[in-house]
Amino acid sequence: MKAKRKAFVAKAARTPTVRKVQPAIRPVRRQVPGARPNDRDAARRSTTISATATTSASAVLDVLGGRPVELEVDLGRGLVLCNPVIVASGPFGYGAEMADLVDLARLGGIVTRGTSLKPRAGHPMPRTAEVPAGLLLGMGSQNPGLDLVLERYATTWAGWPIPVILNLCGDSGGDLAEAARRLEGVPGVAGVEVNLSCSGGGRSSAFGLDAGSAGSAIAAVRRACDLPLIAKLTAAAGDVRAVARAVEDAGADAISAINTLPGLMLAADRLRPALGSTYGGVCGPALKPIALRAVFEIAQVVDIPVIGIGGVSRLDDVLDFLAVGASAVGIGVAALADPMLPVRLADELADACRARGLGSVSDLVGTALPARPAQPSTRGAEYAR
Amino acid sequence: MRLTGAELLETREILSGQWLQAWHAPAVASGARAGQYVHVRTVEAGGLPLRRPYPIATSDAASGTLTLQVPAVSVASAAWARGLRAGDRADILGPLGRPFEVDPRSRHLLLVAEGAAIAGLRMLIDEAIRDARSVVLLYGARSSSVVYPSSLLPDEVEYVVATDDGSLGHHGRVTDLVPEFEAWADQSFAAGPPDLLGALAALAAGRRQRLGVATLGRKRGGGRQPAPGSAEARRKAFLQVVLDQTIGCAAGTCQGCAVAGASGGTQRTCREGPVFAAGELAWGEAS
Repeated sequence: MKAKRKAFVAKAARTPTVRKVQPAIRPVRRQVPGARPNDRDAARRSTTISATATTSASAVLDVLGGRPVELEVDLGRGLVLCNPVIVASGPFGYGAEMADLVDLARLGGIVTRGTSLKPRAGHPMPRTAEVPAGLLLGMGSQNPGLDLVLERYATTWAGWPIPVILNLCGDSGGDLAEAARRLEGVPGVAGVEVNLSCSGGGRSSAFGLDAGSAGSAIAAVRRACDLPLIAKLTAAAGDVRAVARAVEDAGADAISAINTLPGLMLAADRLRPALGSTYGGVCGPALKPIALRAVFEIAQVVDIPVIGIGGVSRLDDVLDFLAVGASAVGIGVAALADPMLPVRLADELADACRARGLGSVSDLVGTALPARPAQPSTRGAEYAR
Repeated sequence: MRLTGAELLETREILSGQWLQAWHAPAVASGARAGQYVHVRTVEAGGLPLRRPYPIATSDAASGTLTLQVPAVSVASAAWARGLRAGDRADILGPLGRPFEVDPRSRHLLLVAEGAAIAGLRMLIDEAIRDARSVVLLYGARSSSVVYPSSLLPDEVEYVVATDDGSLGHHGRVTDLVPEFEAWADQSFAAGPPDLLGALAALAAGRRQRLGVATLGRKRGGGRQPAPGSAEARRKAFLQVVLDQTIGCAAGTCQGCAVAGASGGTQRTCREGPVFAAGELAWGEAS
């Protein structure tokens, strides 16, 4: 009887995730013809193999029911997430607003809401509209400007054990570069995510719509700072693979895909659009198949890690994104409805690995990628042969 | 602010497409004040991936019960509300937002509401009656079939109804009734669509002049002025309104519920609101 009780206590007290301090394994990437060899990759793989060989405590932990699962994800340039579940730009604001409700330390990381060099007043009201299985947002990147954001939050971020990635939007490559320059060396800022869905100013269209302007925007930011740089792509681009290749060549360390997609809803009287900004960004579960398609295509053509974002609200969604080649997954609007969701998904992901007998979450990455490059979706989806 | 799993005790359809739900949620009910809201995770197939904000209609700390008046905003939310049965559970975050600020010296409260928005004022009625204040409730509705049932109100309330089609009470808008009571009222509270609130704000702004109220004692501006938006400033305001907005995060991060403020900039319904003094908002754009 006594022994039984002892065993029960040990099980209840186990930590849900057991992490090793070693850097992460790169996703197992099948050799795609034309893919360039990456020596950084090879070096990392060898360190991980030695790390797994030295784990001796695993037998003990096995008895306790907590098999060690390697959850860390390396996004390059020293940006290491302790697990692959991050909060995408938006739902947690600058993080501090959610700190008393959510145990932020258990997240892989946080991306802040979109921040620009100068303050932005945001779009006129109303700013949200309900769509089937989703939401239409037209906030207009309302923010107090980069300097004020850093003044208010940077010291708080520096005290957190998780990386805070600042999401930047700007009207021009110059704006983005200037903002990135100010971020250099600021304690608490672990990386930069450049929102390529914002417009290039004046009459020009969003950076992310074509490879040329996306590449030059990323190159400008790359020249301005040494921080880990994530390019956030939009699936509205004609060929998302070309944009992904361009940002990789321009020096992005990782890619996040996808942002919201432009959409329109009408007010109840059908006399005007529902949003004050006319168009809004569609987000929520409605976005998931599009996001999966984009990540699937991007992961086949680039060697840098991809963060999958778009309609993630359950563990199945996380596993789907990993399977199409995402190394990490961002939770968007679903975290608004359930602030505890990202932490819960991280725990569930570790459990899912354990249940499958996997020692590392990277074993789940890219399992659905074809051995040979799949036909691009630009050939037409439904009627193409 | 607490995140609790609440149990549904009772639900009934008080009007077509409007449900009154009693939830057992002691952690939320114990600290709730009139004007505050809860954020409820409604489970809607293929519906909104957000929580929905509902004003706390009544709350009883002793029994840990709170009631919510849930209108059918969409087909999905109607299906959710219709499908709920006693014993079902939901995830409730609250109490959220800032409450109404009633001046301790106010004896006569004028409440103005239209449609389902009355839920936002319902708890204020209970608090006012408890504090022995006189309450007049002016209520506007489309027709007699959707008038809030007087059986759900305390007997002490004077309930005056206006309907658009004249099927019950005054024939016309509820704002027509306001001049009759504005001299009597010490403070006024309103809930309803933006155009109603805008009209009431315009009425409230010209009230002192119409009534010929003299400024006695110290000259205006001579004494210490409370900061706009502070509880003290709201207590001194004649009209306070409670806004009905789609609220995304309820934590002040998403800016989805922002409304235009009077002195430029925006005010977040979820944090600075949902109750505002009428003077804090820019009504031209909001209505």
